[in-house]
Amino acid sequence: MTALVLDGISHAYFGRTVLDRITLRILPGELVALVGPSGCGKSTLVHIAGGLIEPQRGRLTQGYRRHGMIFQEPRLLPWATARGNISYPLRVAGVDRTTRHDLTRRAADLVSLDRKDLDKYPVELSGGMRQRVAIARALVVEPDFVFFDEPFTSLDVALKRQMQDLVIEAATQSRFAGLFVTHDLAEAVRISDRIVVMDERVRGISGERIVSLERGARDDAAVFAAVQTYLKEDPLFSHIHDTDERRIA
Amino acid sequence: MTHLLLDRLARLGRFLWSGWVGVAGLALFAALWQQGHEAYGDFILPSPLATIRATGELLSSAETWRLAERTTLRAIQGFLLTAALGGALGLVVGYSAAAMRLARPLLTIVMGVPPIAWIVLAMIWFGSGTGTVLTTTVVASLPLVFANVAESVAARDRSLEDMAKVFGAGPLQRLRTIVIRHVTGQYFSALAVALGSTFKVAVMAELLANIDGIGVALAMSRSNLDVAQSIAWVVIIVTVIFIIEYGAVQPIRAELERWREAARPWGVKR
Repeated sequence: MTALVLDGISHAYFGRTVLDRITLRILPGELVALVGPSGCGKSTLVHIAGGLIEPQRGRLTQGYRRHGMIFQEPRLLPWATARGNISYPLRVAGVDRTTRHDLTRRAADLVSLDRKDLDKYPVELSGGMRQRVAIARALVVEPDFVFFDEPFTSLDVALKRQMQDLVIEAATQSRFAGLFVTHDLAEAVRISDRIVVMDERVRGISGERIVSLERGARDDAAVFAAVQTYLKEDPLFSHIHDTDERRIA
Repeated sequence: MTHLLLDRLARLGRFLWSGWVGVAGLALFAALWQQGHEAYGDFILPSPLATIRATGELLSSAETWRLAERTTLRAIQGFLLTAALGGALGLVVGYSAAAMRLARPLLTIVMGVPPIAWIVLAMIWFGSGTGTVLTTTVVASLPLVFANVAESVAARDRSLEDMAKVFGAGPLQRLRTIVIRHVTGQYFSALAVALGSTFKVAVMAELLANIDGIGVALAMSRSNLDVAQSIAWVVIIVTVIFIIEYGAVQPIRAELERWREAARPWGVKR
């Protein structure tokens, strides 16, 4: 039983092939990090896996029950309070009011949102709080698969760390599987069980590495050491910071 | 529950309190008016007090109330028609880039034709009756509402819709929970403007087509060279617009735009 299977997925934007025959399987409860330089199609792949984009070729099999997604920007409804935003997926799913209320509360607790902040509008919340709300919104449906599309890129270092801990904590508690897009190798090492490297030149996956230590047991020294080893000794990661943003359009 | 009620009371209080600024503006206007009266004399520009007296006289007769009611009913019908049609059409057209492009030149044509020309046409088509007033008011204020809604739909935040899609919202659910909610802010701004123009055009149509209502009364006082009474009629019509705008349109809008208010934690609340 696999949580997600991507089989021979290809996609092109206006004739420019971004993804070429990508195959990836993710096991239940497994967190896979997708790393690679900007513009290599990581986000596209996640959007395809999450059902936002229809792939031009290939097959997508979802073996999980429900998914949630956390985007790079919080993407909160500006006219709804934090509570309204968190419960939005439940409203869409037609969950009744009292259940909605309970689940929203539980999700808010999971990301340590204050009760009093739940009645605030997104404009009244700080950037970190907004992202917390977005995480709570993804977790409120009690998903067994979560897509992360570079969720913490725009946050500062301390906040980023807090959010990562939050994800690690939530993943351990709720045992969801996930696909985590990032271009920060340290983030990938901290959070994931397996790192999949994407490369623009092969328009797909160039290889993968299993992160050796148990999730949650990795301290800063271990993460740093792992990142250094990958970058210095592993040829797979040699192009990970090659970015020519002029060619991405 | 109590804090929601308190919040609502606080907002109502702020809304009423902001009325003082409006009163100050009106007082300034009256002062300028008095100045004009003193410079040009009673015949050209009666004083504000004389106008208020004339308005009072008018209001004491039942005929005035009947005329005001007729005009108001017509204008409200036109306004509701504009609101419904403009909103629905704008929503549909805003979704399609092709329809949007087709609609733009049509809008320019409709907006370019002076309302007076529509009155003439409508008189030929419908005769001197409510149909003429309705047609003219709708034609005059529909393009504004329509264009605002359509532009707003076209400029909607697609990333929010993607978010909704990820969480399983179908097209109709996205329309209901995101697009319509996004559009309402601009919709109500446009409605506030359309309300004024509906009344203005309704009175004009009545005056020109000689249809029973404030327009006709205005024409009468003009032929009697009764400036005070003419202005009194204007005062009445403006008051009606005032009541509808601040009694219905703005409160609904404020309710929907509460989150914008939240962005201004201190200072002057508009």
